[in-house]
Amino acid sequence: MSCGNPHATPCAEVRALVYVYLDGEIDEAHRIEVTAHLQECTPCEGIFARELVIKTRVREAHGAGSAPEALRTRVVAAIQQISIAYRND
Amino acid sequence: MAGTQESVQGDAAARFERDALPFLDQLYGAALRMTRNPQDAEDLVQETYAKAFKAFDSFTEGTNLKAWLFRILTNTYINLYRKRQRGPLETGTDDLTDGQLLEADSHSSTGMRSAEAEALEQMADTDIVEAMAALPEEFRMAVYLADVEGFSYKEIAEIMETPIGTVMSRLHRGRQQLREQLRDYAIERGLIAAVAEGEDS
Repeated sequence: MSCGNPHATPCAEVRALVYVYLDGEIDEAHRIEVTAHLQECTPCEGIFARELVIKTRVREAHGAGSAPEALRTRVVAAIQQISIAYRND
Repeated sequence: MAGTQESVQGDAAARFERDALPFLDQLYGAALRMTRNPQDAEDLVQETYAKAFKAFDSFTEGTNLKAWLFRILTNTYINLYRKRQRGPLETGTDDLTDGQLLEADSHSSTGMRSAEAEALEQMADTDIVEAMAALPEEFRMAVYLADVEGFSYKEIAEIMETPIGTVMSRLHRGRQQLREQLRDYAIERGLIAAVAEGEDS
């Protein structure tokens, strides 16, 4: 649903840029256009806000786990073993 | 000169451990999302480090070590683990098409979207993780690399060995499907009403 007001950049064009905008992959000229549009268009602003919430929740939900300590030991042992095998070649 | 050779190899192991081991937690986190199983994730990470160490000569110091390790992780996963898993290769052609998803969303009202955003804030982490795990693999990996690891499109393209356009399309489709899945969860959990579609506000 669009807000029905005229915009310098049409809603459809702005919405197509939602992910490059939120991912910080947009060029400066488009970033300025999109930012201006979002300030005057509530429906588009709502879409961007919701997508940002999803992106943030995905990061938080998967964040900051630690590998098991035993894995670190296994990895170091594997590296040492390969290193020794090379030396004995 | 056996002595020189020995110290060079010893240095390589020390340098590799110093530079590459700090990524252990991140690689394990990604491996866990790929394999969806802690034991396989551990094996995958160990194999990744072994391969990376053997190939460490080919890594150019000063370039992106984290992306290089993630690329080896992804390749190793595809070659060693995915083959064993049951079922056909996931291509993501199931469910709704992009057009249908966008069409459905364009009819949502502003009020509906903000109710969705609010529900997403309240949703349990386990629901988010489950919704991600349900995505087709290539979409899941693209979204994970972008949103959890913060890789750029260019880095994801290198890791997944695919053009940037494909990365963008995987992110787009993955996120659309994820949103649909999360909306369903929100309705099931009673966080939003199922019938609020269509009314504008």
